[in-house]
Amino acid sequence: MRGRPLAVPVGRALAALAVLMLALGGCGEDSSPTPSAQQAQGEPIRIGTKNFTEQYLLGELYAQALRAEGFRVELKRNIGSSEIVHQALVGGGIDLYPEYVGVLLSEVAGVTERPDEDEDAYQLAKELERREGFTLLAQTPFSDQNAIAVLPATAQREGVLELGDLARLRGEVTIGAPPEFASRFEGLEGLEEVYDLRDLRADAMAIGLQYDALDNGQVDAAAVFTTDGRLAEGDYVILEDTRGLFASQRVAPVISQRVLEAKGPRLAETLDALNARLTTSVMREMNAEVDLRDREAADVAAAFLRTRAPGG
Amino acid sequence: MLLLSATVAVLLGTTLGLLIVTVASQRGAAREAFRSQEALITASRLQGSFVQIENGLRGFVASRRERFLEPAEVALDSYPRQLRRLDGLASDEPRQRRTLADLETRIEDYVGLWALPLITLARKDPASARNVVVSNEGRVRLAGIDGALDELATVKREVVRDNAQRADDASTLAIGFGVGGLGLVLVVAAGVAVYLGRSVVRPVREVARATGRVAGGDLSTRVPAQREDELGDLARSFNEMADRLQVNRTELAARTEQLEHSNTELTRSNRELEQFASVTSHDLQAPLVTVAMYAELLERRHAAELGEGLELVAGIRGATGHARTLIRDLLDYSRAGREQPSLEAVPAETVVEHALESLAGAIETAGARVRIDGTLPVVLADAAGLTRVVQNLVGNAVKFVDGRAPEVTIGAQREGAWWRLWVRDNGIGMDPAHAGRIFEPFQRLNGEDAYAGTGIGLAVCERIVESHGGRIWVDSAQGRGSTFSFTLAPAIDHAAAPAPTVAAGR
Repeated sequence: MRGRPLAVPVGRALAALAVLMLALGGCGEDSSPTPSAQQAQGEPIRIGTKNFTEQYLLGELYAQALRAEGFRVELKRNIGSSEIVHQALVGGGIDLYPEYVGVLLSEVAGVTERPDEDEDAYQLAKELERREGFTLLAQTPFSDQNAIAVLPATAQREGVLELGDLARLRGEVTIGAPPEFASRFEGLEGLEEVYDLRDLRADAMAIGLQYDALDNGQVDAAAVFTTDGRLAEGDYVILEDTRGLFASQRVAPVISQRVLEAKGPRLAETLDALNARLTTSVMREMNAEVDLRDREAADVAAAFLRTRAPGG
Repeated sequence: MLLLSATVAVLLGTTLGLLIVTVASQRGAAREAFRSQEALITASRLQGSFVQIENGLRGFVASRRERFLEPAEVALDSYPRQLRRLDGLASDEPRQRRTLADLETRIEDYVGLWALPLITLARKDPASARNVVVSNEGRVRLAGIDGALDELATVKREVVRDNAQRADDASTLAIGFGVGGLGLVLVVAAGVAVYLGRSVVRPVREVARATGRVAGGDLSTRVPAQREDELGDLARSFNEMADRLQVNRTELAARTEQLEHSNTELTRSNRELEQFASVTSHDLQAPLVTVAMYAELLERRHAAELGEGLELVAGIRGATGHARTLIRDLLDYSRAGREQPSLEAVPAETVVEHALESLAGAIETAGARVRIDGTLPVVLADAAGLTRVVQNLVGNAVKFVDGRAPEVTIGAQREGAWWRLWVRDNGIGMDPAHAGRIFEPFQRLNGEDAYAGTGIGLAVCERIVESHGGRIWVDSAQGRGSTFSFTLAPAIDHAAAPAPTVAAGR
């Protein structure tokens, strides 16, 4: 008889307790692995990622590695292409994101005459970012270049093995690609300019779907990344870039200098150490885990960080 | 008793407390419902804002015309306010807080990671922006916001529904509590009433009844007084009172009996005395008349032979005459006290005129002037008695003078329920200290030689007035005249008549 009206405050108290426990649990998740709780203070580090598998993996790797060091991290996945992500960084929506050095130069900075050496390209990009109040952390060993792939049948039948060979295809050549491909130098613009190709048309689609489009004969060619897991099986032929349109694309985190200074040296050390371990084979394997075996990027990243701990 | 009262108080308190809690929760529910409604409206507005932003954004990117962006910019300007409002309307309930936090993150991301970068990009590199905008990121983020808003709305609706349900339950419960609690209180109160009836009211009623019996005269009444509380004290006090009353009455009865006895004795002796006086007066008069007759015969027949002795005979006649007057007055006095006056409406005017006629000789001799001041009333009196009083007073007035011509005024004045009749003179007056004594029989303030009379007149007057129920007194000072006043009842009791004017106003 008396239990009912009292049930309200009791319920509230229980709810409050539950919230408290959740909050404590949440704190523990962030801070328990290391004693550097000081780094968890202040604003979280907001990591953005672009809109495809490799970026999701890089985002998870960065976020998990930093959290393991006691940093508070907010991971903002799938923001969009470089153009929008970089704009988000400039606008203060995020603090860092993994970027491809070549893309940074050509698409963000608008530099089409790029240095031949990766290191030079990296230093140039770093200098350009520095002027904007950003900087690059150490770049990865792996390079995930842009490429154009065709089906082996096309390559064999039409003798298309190089990018220039696309001209041999009759009529309009359709390329399945993400929307930004149409307006990028490392895209339609470069193909037309560097290879003097005409009658090219970009068929815009979400990244990943171009393989299916290619398989279905919906498109003649597909814009791909060289670390794509689907390229590992040998089902597609990558056309040779004889004129060096597609630059080397090693990955470096672009980060706000302010945040870097605020969070201390451990931030750079952690990411640098992590990036040093990301070779092409490692990256391709992880991409394949997600794209071909439907595993979650977070799990794949966690597995990588667990099994190959630094110095282990 | 105390326990029962406490139980009632606790029950009432608990019932009231529960009712207050329930009513308060009802109010809380109503407020929450209102807030939820507001939150739903705000959420819907917020949703509209972001549709506006996304559409404006796309229009701007596609057309590069800034005016397409205007509604988006308005919405970008207003959404933080809407969000704050929504935040204010969300309760502290964890699910709402979580959903709201999620919504805030999504909105922040949409604006910071999509809308604002895209606007900047569109101004810098419209072609890139166009290619970016065809990707689904914006719509995905918008859908995320919609989802969060829907979730919030769902939570809010659930809150409203739960609150309504809870309020309903609470109402039912409140009614249950109210009815049950009050019922319980009534039952307990009834129990208390019965208890009070048994243990308090009944003893009190017993005492009350006993008091009634005591008042009715039964002083032997006692009530049980075994209790140790206030009721016991009451009963004991009552019994004590009854004891004392009984003792007092016994004493009183004894004393009354004594008094009655002495009264009877007194009355008897008084009557005997009066009879004696009356008889004695008659018996005395007879020899006196004989003596007076013989003296007269001696004078008439043997005047020549008596010679010097004639003077002695005159002395005998004078003494017997005086003795006869004395006896007559004594008889008057005795009669005045003995007989009840036969009261009737008597015009005082007539009585006074009658008295003055009988005194005409004395008045003339004294050269006195007697007048009536104003009109005299009709009084309730025995005409003969009243005449005697007026005769006595006016007679005294013209008698006790110091050489001046006596001026006597007779008047009347209404004093309450009585008429005061007065007789004023300009005579010798008297010392006020002796004013009371003059109404005693045979008391004379002046020497018998100076003024004739037996000294019984005023005593007779007092007896007559008192037998009428009135009183008589004198206001006087030595040498400054006297005013004798006496009261009589009016023939028509005007004072008893209802006052005619006061009630008229209403």
